[in-house]
Amino acid sequence: VNTPASSTLGKLTMQTAGPASRPLPVRGALVVPALLLVCVFLMAPLGLIVRYSFDVYDPVKLMLAVFSLDNYRKVFADAFYQNVLGLTAKIAFLSTLITIALAFPVAYCISRTASEKRRSWLIILTVLPLLLGNAVRSAAWMVVMGTKGIVNSTLLGLGLIAQPLSILYTPTAVVIALVSVLLPYAIITLQSVMDSIPVSLEEAGQSLGYSPLRTVVAVVLPLAMPGLIAAAAICFALAMNAYATPVLIGGPKMQMMGPLVYEQIAKVSNWPFGATLACVLMASTVALTIISTRFLHKRYF
Amino acid sequence: MNSQWNFALPLRRREVLVGAAASAVLSLTGREASAQSSELVVSNWGGDWNDRTVRFIESPLVESKGIKIVRALNLEPERKTKLLAERNLPRGSIDVAHFSAGDAFELNEQGILEQLDLSKIPNYANVRPALRSPYFVPWVFGGVTLAYNPKFIKKPPTSFADLWNPEYAGKLGVLDQSFYNWIYMAALVSGGKMNQVDPGFAKLLEMKKTMKPRIYPTHQQMAAGFANEEIWIAANYSARIAQWAKDGVSVRSAYPKEGPVSIVFGATIPKKARNKDAAYQYLNALLDPKGLGSYSEASMYAPSIGNAVLSDAVRGAIDFTPEQTAALNSPDYGYQAKNISQWQEWWNKEFKA
Repeated sequence: VNTPASSTLGKLTMQTAGPASRPLPVRGALVVPALLLVCVFLMAPLGLIVRYSFDVYDPVKLMLAVFSLDNYRKVFADAFYQNVLGLTAKIAFLSTLITIALAFPVAYCISRTASEKRRSWLIILTVLPLLLGNAVRSAAWMVVMGTKGIVNSTLLGLGLIAQPLSILYTPTAVVIALVSVLLPYAIITLQSVMDSIPVSLEEAGQSLGYSPLRTVVAVVLPLAMPGLIAAAAICFALAMNAYATPVLIGGPKMQMMGPLVYEQIAKVSNWPFGATLACVLMASTVALTIISTRFLHKRYF
Repeated sequence: MNSQWNFALPLRRREVLVGAAASAVLSLTGREASAQSSELVVSNWGGDWNDRTVRFIESPLVESKGIKIVRALNLEPERKTKLLAERNLPRGSIDVAHFSAGDAFELNEQGILEQLDLSKIPNYANVRPALRSPYFVPWVFGGVTLAYNPKFIKKPPTSFADLWNPEYAGKLGVLDQSFYNWIYMAALVSGGKMNQVDPGFAKLLEMKKTMKPRIYPTHQQMAAGFANEEIWIAANYSARIAQWAKDGVSVRSAYPKEGPVSIVFGATIPKKARNKDAAYQYLNALLDPKGLGSYSEASMYAPSIGNAVLSDAVRGAIDFTPEQTAALNSPDYGYQAKNISQWQEWWNKEFKA
């Protein structure tokens, strides 16, 4: 979440500090503003949330400041919350996988486009969806997927189906919508990594008799692996914490972690349990990301 | 990775980014500062609800007197959470907060709401006695009645029990947003009471099993469900049903013999409000007989005051008769506040799952 802000700040400090030939200690000081920002606006509230998660909910006083593990016990003892966490992880994993598979060829094409102007246009087109809010895009998906939406009207009109399909409010719908949200992030991340892979390596591969496809699989893919892992980590974290998409596309019956946290904190004012769910969600996102990154590193390096 | 490429970003883009961040910070603080004195910050629901509030009350009766209204539009969970979160700050960010009576009760229990000085709200004298409260200005009220599509259901339903009629299996709509109303309705048809809802839980599980209801997140989506004939029957606030019918949806409201479950909407002043004088003027304007009459005609909710200016035709359509008002099932807000967290959990785990 903090990356855009801190990188902006990083650039600001770079600019004001003058040429890059200054001695090292000054450079170390350059991270201080960003560090302060992160500490004050990210770490401190995060610390509070962790603290709240050990409090106890009371219908009258709302929060009793104690130190209790009851909330965590409830999350881990109750199959319901494990199922929600499991479903969230499953959906996030699947969306990430599909996103990366779709993003890889697109990123490769953009990266290998010779005309600088065309490349810029392709990048702008890729980023364009990010300028629209997530909720707006989800609303558009609702129009597309509804019982009398575009897809059903078309299929019914063509006589391909007799009864409208229920697409909206299913896990499939959430995965489709999430993939559309995640694609730009994955494409941009992968494309910048592929830019750094010299074309001469591909030419070397081809001169040794590799087909174009084999060149991509044997030369580009391994070299792009760090970018692939980074893109997957970003997508996975975004998908795990998604809110608007599960609420609008998944409907009330598809219960995922993001909406559940909101419901506990905002709807029923149970801050301690909401904080616990938030901590569990954060910890599992971090853990799953680290585990899968480790696995991929071991496999490919 | 080629980090040099990143450093080579054109300077202009960096400046744009920095400039954008700086202006965002400025606009935030600037707004905070400007909301301090002569302005009145009103937190309300958005959409047509707010449009009508502006049209019939805020613009003609408040802003015309030189009070500038700053609107913070959101849903009530956010509004509640905001007030709870800023209760320990020296000054709050909201001067008038619109709420339902149940939300206001909860916040008052937390000591967040101003106890009203009724001498500053002369129009309060006309509020129906049953609706009065020391910390809440009741504005409009309504009740949950049955909604049905006359195209498919020829004989109008007469009881909440008709929501369990197997003939409508698969064609029943449930509203997730106001799950508590469904708990109340189930309690009323299974021998429970408004302050004793336990028998309703088994009844709802029966509904889930035999009726296979469609669950909608919001009012708008339920309206769409009626419009595209996914559902034939549901329950919702009679005012909402009347609005949908007015918008051309084939839906009608039917009065349940158990009596509707009531809802009261109104406004409060948080203790930490910055501009209480203007807030009192606003609350008095809400109860203006002509303004509230026009608001009621447009929203189809009944006015909280006895002397609202309504045409006879509209009065018949939206106002509750004294017998109907007496038959309203009003929630016991203390009981509700104590149990709502548990109910939500039950609803998530047992009914929706």
